[in-house]
Amino acid sequence: MAQLPNYLRSNRKRAALSQDEAAFLLGSHGGAKVCRYERFTCEPSLSTALAFEVMYQKPVRELFAGLYQRVERDVAARAKTLIYKTDRAKPNRRTARKRQLLASIINSESNISHEP
Amino acid sequence: MKNTKDVRILSIAPSTRGFGYAVIEGNDKLVDWGVKSISGDKNNGSLTRIEKMMAFYEPKFMVLQDVKDSRRAPRIRELIEQIAVLARNRKVRVVLLSRKQIQQVFFHEGRGTKYALAELLAEWFPEELGDHLPPKRKPWMSEDYRMDIFEAVALGVAVRL
Repeated sequence: MAQLPNYLRSNRKRAALSQDEAAFLLGSHGGAKVCRYERFTCEPSLSTALAFEVMYQKPVRELFAGLYQRVERDVAARAKTLIYKTDRAKPNRRTARKRQLLASIINSESNISHEP
Repeated sequence: MKNTKDVRILSIAPSTRGFGYAVIEGNDKLVDWGVKSISGDKNNGSLTRIEKMMAFYEPKFMVLQDVKDSRRAPRIRELIEQIAVLARNRKVRVVLLSRKQIQQVFFHEGRGTKYALAELLAEWFPEELGDHLPPKRKPWMSEDYRMDIFEAVALGVAVRL
C-alpha cells in the first residue's frame, strides 16, 4: 500500500489541536501553513519537520511516511548505481565497507517495498 | 473480507445534515474521521466533497450502507447510489454493508443499539473518537450529528473483520 505523503492531519486531530494551535506551536502566524502541509501542497523545512516530531511525539519518518518511502526508494536507486561503480574499482577495505553500506541501503528498501 | 487489510478504505455514512466519513488504513489505523455538513443541494454538495476526498486519499475500497432493506429516506438512497457510481467510475471497489451485517460483526448476539456500537468504537479508538462520543440521548432528543462519525467508522472497521 502506498502511504500518504504525511500523517500530520491525523496526528493533529489525535492531539486535539486546531490548525491555529499547531501553527502557534510551530511559530507560524496562522493555520494556513499547517493546512498546506496537511493537504500535501507544500513540504515543510527540516526545522518545521522536527518541530512536528516534538509536537506529535512521533519520529519524522513516521509522520512523513510517504515522503520517507519516496526518498528511500530514490536513495536505493542511486545506491544501485554506486554499487555498480564500486564493483569496478580496485577492491580494498574501504570499498568493502562502502559496498556493505550500499548493499544494506538496497536491502532495507527492498524489504520495505515487499512488506504486505 | 481479507483483502481489505492492506489497503486504504474510505467509508461514508450519509445523514440528514451531510455525511460522516472515516479513512482507515493498514491494520485498523484511523487516518481521518469527521462530519461534513452540507447546506443547499445536499446530494450535489456531498458528491463534490466526496469526490475531493477520493482524489486526496486515493482509497482502494469505498464502504457504504446497503439500503436495500432499510427505511432510509429516498434522498439518502439516491445519494448512496450516486456515491457508488462515482466510486466505480474512479475504479474504487464498492462494498455495501447492511445494518444487520454490521451488528453481526460487532455484537455476539447479532443485535445492539447504535449507541452501544458507538461506545465500543470509542473504546477501540480512545484517542481518535473518545472525545466525539455524545451523551446518550433521551427519547425527546434528536440524534447528535457526531453519531455519523461512528457510523462511518463502523462501516470501515466491519469490512475488515
